[in-house]
Amino acid sequence: MAMSFVGRIKRRKISLWGYFILALVVAGITFLPFYWAISLSIRNPIEAFTVAGLAVPFVQYKPTLNNWKTELATGETQKALFNSTIIAVCTALAVLVLGTPAAYAIARFRFKRPTNQDITVWFLSQRVLPPIATAIPFFLIIRFLGLLDTRTALIMVNTTFNLPFVVVIMRQAFIDLPIELEEAALVDGANYLRIFWKISLRLAAPSLAAAVLIIVAFTWNEFLFALMISGVKTTVIPVLMAGAVDTRGIQFWFVAVRTLIAMSPPVLIALLAQRYMVRGLTFGAVKG
Amino acid sequence: MHQDNRIKFMFLLPAALWVLGFTIFPLIYGLRLSLFNVKIGSPDEFIGLGNFLHFFKDPYALNSTIITIIFVVCGVTVEMILGMLFALLFNRPMPGRGVLRTLMTMPLFATPIAVGFLFFTIFYEEGGLVNGILHLKIPWLSNPHWALVSVIAVDIWQWTPFCFLVFLASLQGIPDDYYDAAAIETKSQWQIFRYITFPVIQPTIILVLLLRITEAFKVFDIPYTLTTGGPGTATQVLTMFAYRVGFRFFNFGYSSAISFILFIIVMVIIMTLFKRIRQTYQ
Repeated sequence: MAMSFVGRIKRRKISLWGYFILALVVAGITFLPFYWAISLSIRNPIEAFTVAGLAVPFVQYKPTLNNWKTELATGETQKALFNSTIIAVCTALAVLVLGTPAAYAIARFRFKRPTNQDITVWFLSQRVLPPIATAIPFFLIIRFLGLLDTRTALIMVNTTFNLPFVVVIMRQAFIDLPIELEEAALVDGANYLRIFWKISLRLAAPSLAAAVLIIVAFTWNEFLFALMISGVKTTVIPVLMAGAVDTRGIQFWFVAVRTLIAMSPPVLIALLAQRYMVRGLTFGAVKG
Repeated sequence: MHQDNRIKFMFLLPAALWVLGFTIFPLIYGLRLSLFNVKIGSPDEFIGLGNFLHFFKDPYALNSTIITIIFVVCGVTVEMILGMLFALLFNRPMPGRGVLRTLMTMPLFATPIAVGFLFFTIFYEEGGLVNGILHLKIPWLSNPHWALVSVIAVDIWQWTPFCFLVFLASLQGIPDDYYDAAAIETKSQWQIFRYITFPVIQPTIILVLLLRITEAFKVFDIPYTLTTGGPGTATQVLTMFAYRVGFRFFNFGYSSAISFILFIIVMVIIMTLFKRIRQTYQ
C-alpha cells in the first residue's frame, strides 16, 4: 500500500502519532457542528447564550429533553416530516421507473445517431444547468397545470433533478454486470423485457438500493423549488425551517432541534451508502 | 452489447421525453421570458435583449456577479487543497482510520438549509461557538466582509469531505509498485507527490474541480439562511439575486435573463476547463 512506503522512510513512531493526532483534530473539527447542535438542543432556553465555549452537557449545564418533546409534538413538524418522507420516497420510485430502463438501453444496446456516448453526455449535462434557470418557467408551468401546493408537483420537480443522476449511475452498474447470463437467457427464448426485469435489475440490486438512498437524501434536502411550489398543505422540512424563523425569530434551542431532525435522515443515508458515495457523487467516474 | 432491437427505444423514451418536457422545454420557455417584459396582469411586452443589457448596467447585478465569483474561487480552491491534504493524511496507516473517515462523511448530505441555520448559531457573535471557543469578538454575520467569509467557510465545511473522499479513493487505487520504483530514485516526499501521485490522479482532480465549480455556482440555501444575502447585499449570490428579482419583485423576464447569464458563465468555464483537459492528453 501507498503508506507502507512512507512508513518505511519514516519509521519513527512519533511521527505516526503526530499524523494520528492531526487526523483526530481534522475529524473532530468536521464533527464539531453536529456536537454543537446536539449540545444546544438539550439546553434550557435560559442557558442558550450563557453557557460559554464548548458547552459540555452535565459539566457546564444540566441537559433536558424538553425542546425535543415540544418540537416533535408540534403538528406542523409532524406534517412536514410526513410530506418530506412521501415526496422523497415517491420521487425515488418515479426516478427508478423512468431512469433504469433508459440506463439499461444505453448500457446494452447500440444507438447510432445520437450515439450512446452522446445520450449519456446529454443526460449528464442536465446537472450543469443551474436550477434557477428553469425555476420561473417551471413555476409558471406548475401554476398553469393548477398543481401549486401539491405533493405531485414537488415529486415532478425532484424527479426531473434526479433522473439524469440515475441514468448515468445505473448505466455504469449495468455495464459492470456480466452480459453472459443475459445472453444465455436469450438463447433460452426469453425476451429483453423479461431479461431486464428478471435478471439485470436483480443483479444490479445493490446499486439500485444505493441510488434510491442517494435520491431520497437529495430530495429531502431540496429547497429552492420547494420554496416556490409548496404552500400550507405541502410544507416540507426545509421550508418549515425557513418559515419558522421568519415568524418566530431565531430561537437557538428550537433551531438546533429542527436542524437535527432535518439532518438526521440524509446524514444517516450518507453513512449507510458510504461505499457507493464516491461513485455516486462523481457520476460513476471514480470507483470508491 | 445485445443485438439491435426496436425495444431499445421503448426503454429509452420515457426518460428522454421526461427530460425534454421538464428540462429542455422550461429552458426554452425561460429563454423566451428573458426577452420579454413580463408583468402580472398585463400582456408580455417584447423587449429583445433589454433585460440582458439592463444586467450590465445594474449595480446589484455587478455586485452579485463579483460575490459569486469570489465565493466560487475561494471556496473551491480551499476545498480542493484541504481535500487533498486530508486525503494524503488519511492514506497513512493509523488506528481507527475507518471511524475517522466515517466522521468526515457526515457533512456531505447534511440538509443545506439546516446547515445554514446551524452555522448561524455557531457564528453568532455573543454566545456562539466560534467566538466562544476562540475568545474573539469577530462580527461574523454583521460585517459585510466577514459575512462572505462565513458563507464560504460553511461551504468549505460541507464540501471539503467530498474532495477528500474522492481523492482518498483515487490515492488508494495507485499500485504499490509505483512507490517502490520511486523509492529507488528519491527520498523526497514532495518529489514523489509531484512526479508519481499527482500525474496519476490528475484526471480525478480535474473531474472534482469541474463538479465543485458547477455546484458552487448554484449555491442558494446557505446564504439564504445564514445571512439572507446580507448584510445589505454582501452575500447575495447570483442565484439568490435571480430568485429575489423573480419572486420578491415578480420581474420574471429580468430574473430569467440573470439565470441565463449565470448559465452562460458556468458553461464558458466548463468549456475552457474541458479544453485544458484535452490539451493535457494530446
